Amino acid sequence: MDISLTAEDQAFRNEVRSFLDHNVPPAMRRAGELTTGFIVDPEISIALHRALAQQGWSVPNWPVEHGGTGWTPVQRYIYEIECARAGAASYNNAGAQFVGPVIIRFGTQAQKDKYLPRIRSGEDHWAQGYSEPGSGSDLASLKTRAESDGDDYTVNGQKIWTTHAHKSNRIFALVRTSSEGKRQEGITFLLIDLDTPGITIRPIIGNGGDHEFNEVFFDNVRVPKENRVGEENKGWDVAKYLLEFERGGSVQAGRVRAQFARLAKLIATRCPDDPEMAIRFAELGTDIDAMEMIDLSVLSAHQTGANPGPISSLLKLRWSEIRQVVSELAVDAAGPDALRWVDERPLYEALQLPPEEEENLSLIPRYLNGRAFTIMGGTTEVQTNILAKSLLGL
Amino acid sequence: MNLQYDTEQAILRDSAHAFLRDHYDYKAHRRIAASDAGMSPELWREFAQLGWLGLPFSTEDGGVGGGPVETAILMEGFGRFLVIEPYLETVLLGGGLISALGTAAERKALLEPVMEGKSLFAVAHDDRTASITATSTSRGFALSGATKLVLAAPLADQLLVSAELDGGRLGVFIVPKTASGLTLRPVRLIDGRRAADLELTVVELPANALLGGNDNAGTAVASVIDLAIAALSADAVGAISTMVSATVDYTKTRVQFGQPIAKFQALQHRMVRMRVAEEEARAFALFATLALDRPPDQRARAVSGAKAKIGRSARFVHQTAIQLHGAIGTTDELSLGAYAKRLLAYEALFGPTREHLRRYGALMAKPDRAAEGLLTAMA
Repeated sequence: MDISLTAEDQAFRNEVRSFLDHNVPPAMRRAGELTTGFIVDPEISIALHRALAQQGWSVPNWPVEHGGTGWTPVQRYIYEIECARAGAASYNNAGAQFVGPVIIRFGTQAQKDKYLPRIRSGEDHWAQGYSEPGSGSDLASLKTRAESDGDDYTVNGQKIWTTHAHKSNRIFALVRTSSEGKRQEGITFLLIDLDTPGITIRPIIGNGGDHEFNEVFFDNVRVPKENRVGEENKGWDVAKYLLEFERGGSVQAGRVRAQFARLAKLIATRCPDDPEMAIRFAELGTDIDAMEMIDLSVLSAHQTGANPGPISSLLKLRWSEIRQVVSELAVDAAGPDALRWVDERPLYEALQLPPEEEENLSLIPRYLNGRAFTIMGGTTEVQTNILAKSLLGL
Repeated sequence: MNLQYDTEQAILRDSAHAFLRDHYDYKAHRRIAASDAGMSPELWREFAQLGWLGLPFSTEDGGVGGGPVETAILMEGFGRFLVIEPYLETVLLGGGLISALGTAAERKALLEPVMEGKSLFAVAHDDRTASITATSTSRGFALSGATKLVLAAPLADQLLVSAELDGGRLGVFIVPKTASGLTLRPVRLIDGRRAADLELTVVELPANALLGGNDNAGTAVASVIDLAIAALSADAVGAISTMVSATVDYTKTRVQFGQPIAKFQALQHRMVRMRVAEEEARAFALFATLALDRPPDQRARAVSGAKAKIGRSARFVHQTAIQLHGAIGTTDELSLGAYAKRLLAYEALFGPTREHLRRYGALMAKPDRAAEGLLTAMA
């Protein structure tokens, strides 16, 4: 057993570090630090994505024959950590992370030829059309209908909480194609162009002031049947495959560590002698270390081909809580200065202030937006139910 | 990076658990804890035969040559089965100091009887205050001072006492239990272990009582203490894990309102949190174990982080385990109370949770360190 990098992994880390040093400009770093939502706008991230594409790194998790990097789990981990360290802001990468692997696994050759290159290059931006007003945690109750009509489906209904739909040109959606039998057996997975007539996108402004979520309305929208992924009424299996990537697939430790380091600076400048803040900061640090170690154990199991088991569902549960605590402590450390507010978003465009004043304006928005961490992608309560079954056999 | 046990480590774990399951059930624990000796000499001899007493010592010294991972595997088993024999005190602390500081002749003279199960050591060291001083005399040294709760001191035949030397540096002294000027006030601890408050009034020692002749032992002592904390953390993980499983099993059989109480969501969610605490504790104990060979600051981050995090996990798990067992959880009918006591002892020994939290927090307050992940370049 060991917890160190081999010489090869170290060389890989240096390669990633030097690439990011050249391709993450200070403006992106600043945008990342002043983005109070979950992801930066594509206008900020596209240059990095293009550079990654040129390097052959834009879809690292894909199979090598489709443009993946063939990195080991440890190398993928190093890559994520280094991205966070360099200030490479998170951006909407649902194409590379979610729909790409789904198309590779279930898609037709024509779908692969059409969509995969455009995800790799960054031409396409994908949104995820899952939740509906009446279908949140109970996703299988979804009602958006797709009626068969010759070579097309006619889609009617509404999706909600659609992250960055307003910045995307395509959406992958779960729609109901049958009301017979089990609810899960009447669902189909469709790829839809967002400029198709009959689609309306309406913004939802979060209480943190950011526009990240949307409602997407479908009014007699014609979608060619060739845009269906997998068989009709088998969309639930496709969705479950995708959900594995959403819950366990992304590395949180890097991002959280970068924010934790900024919190250390914030406390050092705002309330260096507050013993209670020091204790809460230390407790948070031990929580982060524990979770990163669990991350690494899962990784190590993958590396040797072992099955890490249900432990991976625990990661979503705890990381989402930890991210909330980071933003909570930042608010507490700033005290009343965190109350200053401006409406304009994104902050990195709206502001030209000394760093400390800009930071003040980002703290409460980030805290409020972060309340969604324990809601989206399976609420904490639903995750706990899942863990009771899988981890405790209850 | 590799965090999987290899075949030999898996065998060690399985065979240790199997041996302890056969020889160390709750009844045995209670009998041994209540005995005058405070340990089972028969089992200690078996530990020697199994090679456990020589596990961490180098093959040159006649040991097995195991590392911190092997030690942790054994310690997790000891926590799981409530073993109170002085393994930590004699093998890890005493043996650790002798290995680190002793001359070849001392290592041969002192370690062999330890490995054969014939000699027991206790280590008197106070991390927080230099409570014992050693003044040079014409014949050697004179030790004076007092220290509390020296683990296994009533069981041991020899003591290793850390003392501040004239120049302010640290030395470790071999002190026979029969030395004149030495008084022991034995005490039983909540978890059945024995300890003693020590008083030394001008205890005269020859010059060769200073282990390894080393008058600058502070670094070695600190690293042995960190090793002991990592090992004790593995012990705590064993106890935590047992309490969690016992609680889940109990709620599956306890019927109220016409159904097993494990069916109730309120209880399920609390038990999930217990399992999460167990996983976090297990992960952190392993981090501490694997970081023992790192530079002091990195080692301190892992060891103090482990003590702080596992201390909190332990508190939460023992309290919730008792609560979910209901009234029976408050009695000695079940082993639950013994595990709770073992975990309370873990929290308080070698610096309480809050002290390690402060030490950890001070290290992590540097943004560079806060940003540093757990995977680091090979030293």
